[in-house]
Formats: sequence, C-alpha cells, structure tokens
Amino acid sequence: MNQAEVDPTQLLKGVLDLAVLAVLAEADSYGYDVLRRLRENGLDHVGDASVYGTLRRLYQAGALNSYVVPSDEGPHRKYYGLNNRGRKALDQSAQTWVSLSKALNHLLNGRSNGHGK
Amino acid sequence: MASNNQADDVATYAAAVRAALSNLPTDQSEVLLEDLEDHLREVAAEAEGPLAERLGPPEQYAQELRSAYGAAHAGGRRQAAALHDLRRAVGWVTASAWYRQVRAFLPELRPAWWVLRAYLLVLVITVAFSPSYNIRPIPNPFSSRGLLEIIAMAIAIVVSVRLGRRNRPLAKSGRMLAVAANVLIALIAVPALASMGTFHPFTMVESGGSGQTIQGQQLYTPSGVVTNIYPYSRDGKPLTDVLLYDQDGRALTLDSKTGDATTDYPVGADGQQITNAYPLHQRHLSGDPVAAPRVALPPWPAQTPTVSPTPSPTPSPR
Repeated sequence: MNQAEVDPTQLLKGVLDLAVLAVLAEADSYGYDVLRRLRENGLDHVGDASVYGTLRRLYQAGALNSYVVPSDEGPHRKYYGLNNRGRKALDQSAQTWVSLSKALNHLLNGRSNGHGK
Repeated sequence: MASNNQADDVATYAAAVRAALSNLPTDQSEVLLEDLEDHLREVAAEAEGPLAERLGPPEQYAQELRSAYGAAHAGGRRQAAALHDLRRAVGWVTASAWYRQVRAFLPELRPAWWVLRAYLLVLVITVAFSPSYNIRPIPNPFSSRGLLEIIAMAIAIVVSVRLGRRNRPLAKSGRMLAVAANVLIALIAVPALASMGTFHPFTMVESGGSGQTIQGQQLYTPSGVVTNIYPYSRDGKPLTDVLLYDQDGRALTLDSKTGDATTDYPVGADGQQITNAYPLHQRHLSGDPVAAPRVALPPWPAQTPTVSPTPSPTPSPR
C-alpha cells in the first residue's frame, strides 16, 4: 500500500468506539451481530477482532452492561447494552464527531471545488 | 461441518490467539479474552468454513484485538524473554482441551476435599498432642484413644461439610482467609502423614531431619517409640555394649532425638562414635542417668543349650 494513502482501517479505528456505541444505542446486541450491523451500515473494513476488542474495552471502562441470553440452537450469546455512562459517552463523542466531520467536509469540499475548476 | 469439528476449530483458534497475546499482563488478558471462546463459537455458528479462513490467521486476529482493546492497554511494557515464553507456555496449557476438562471436573471433587481436610485436621491435632503416638490411617476403635480420634473425625467431617456447603458467599478477605486455612491444613498434614505408621506392629521410619549428629531410625512398637534397648543374657545378667545390626548388616541406631534424654555414645579408636552399642548411655535433661527398666525374664527350660534361645532367624552378620 502506498504510504501516503489513508488506510481505511486506520481511519476507522478512531471512530469505531462511536460506531459501536451507536449500534448498541439502537438495540442491545452480541458480538457478531454488532459486526454485521456495522457492515450493513457500510463499514465494510471493520474486522471481527476489532469489534470484539472494542466491546471488551468499553465494557471494561464501564460504558456497557452485559448479560447472557441462552439459546436452544447454537451457543449462548453475550449481549451488550448501553448504560448511563455509555449513553453519556455516545452523546459527547457524537458531538465531537459532528464538529470534526463538519470541519473535515468543509476542508475537503474547498479542496475539490478548487481542484475542479 | 460437524459440530465437533467446529468446536475443535474454535478451541484451536482460541488457543493460538491466547498464545499470541500471552505477553499481555494477566489482568488485562483475562478481561480481554474472558469470553473469546464464546464469541468465536458465535462466529463459527454464523457461517460455514474454518475460522482461520474467515477471520485470518490467529496471530493477525490477536494483533487486531490488542490494538482495538487500546494502545494504552496493549502497553509497550516488554517483558523478559523467559517470562514471555513462560506466559506463552502457560497460555498453551490453559487453553488446551484437557486442561479445560480437568478444570471443569475439579469442582466435583470439592466434597471429597471437605471430608479429607476434616480427617487431616484431626490427624494433625493427634500428632501435635502426642508425638510418640503411633498414628494409623484408620484409628483402632477398640482403644479409647482411637475411639476418641474417630469421634473427633466424625464431628470434624460434619462441620467441614457444612462449612463447604454453605451457599453464602464470603467477603473477599474472608475468602482469602478460608483459602489460606485450607492450604495450611494441607501443608501441615504432610509431615503428619509422613510419620504415619502402617499396620505392621514394627515399623522403621527414616527420620527426616536429623542432620548434624547421629543418623538414626525411629523404631516403633504398638505401645510407642523405642528409645533404648536392654539386652540380657540367658541367665538374666544385663549385658552392656552389645552391638546390634539389622538383617542387612547395618548398624541398628535409634534416633537420638527421640524422647527427652540425651545419649552419650562411646567413641571408638578411630574417633567415630559407636552408635549401636546397647544399652545406650542416656541422661535425663536434668543430668541424671536414665535408670534401666525392671524386666520380667522368661524361665528357660533346664537343658537345650544347643537350641537358639531367640525366635530370630537372623544369623550373626559377623
């Protein structure tokens, strides 16, 4: 890979917390399901280990609660959901992201406009 | 794919991931990998194909896991290579199927330990209060002492099992204390078990700790430890400085630490102490010589000077 090119996985790494929190804000979910929903929303480059590691870290940081749901067919599933701290973290991170993306979009639009002429 | 193969695949893959992360500090890797197997099982259940094909090589998966868990956590704290290898080895062992089977089975042995610890506790107490008492695996119920021991064991077992079955979880400090008490019982029981006699009326036990002075044995009879031997001639005269040897021609030496008397051994021409000359010259701690016991000598028949006077089949080694 060209060193100057931005690696999508590197880019994603910084916002994966936010993405995972957002997915869990919709509905409680288990590891593989979180991954699937991220991919359904267009985050194709996210890896299974990244999601699992992120879930464990957020859980360890006290942003998530978790519970095991037994299933008749297949393995028992460990569900994660947002607690108050997680919701607060999501709100704050979302604000940061919105202002960051606004700034970045502005920069990129300026560049593409200027380049286009 | 057969579910058995799938389970193997999960176990193998998880073991490799754990091994690759074995240099993480234990507390971190525990939190991170707590339900790795559960998670991989989910992944495996979602679609066909070996995990390594779908998730990439386990080392790469581990790397991604480590970086997602947080650079701060993944920590650059490099550990010594030996320690790293050790953790890696421990990681392999703890991730192996047989280890998990043993771990899963161990809790079923708990009740056995509850009974055993009660037994060992009574044993230790018995030894502590009567060092010269010849303890046995199962006390003789026809002696008052053995009966007492058996009753004490029964009570201790009931109490121990009750303690073990109690569901109320202990506070952390209480749990530590309980674990320490259990380990202590197990450790103290080792020397007690080592001094345990068998069912033979006479037992020779190598004494473990006699380092600097005389290497001797403890000789037991059913009524206690032998501390001295008094030989008599056929006509009832006490003999002195009789050298005794066992069936292999080894000097028969009693443990000099036994009892509360000190022993003065004669010194040979070569400067070595002669430790198997009986009776031993013993002194009480007060300095008074230990008096010979009164013995009841058997009446010999008038003739038969040729028949061996003792039932011992052992010919003299000299």
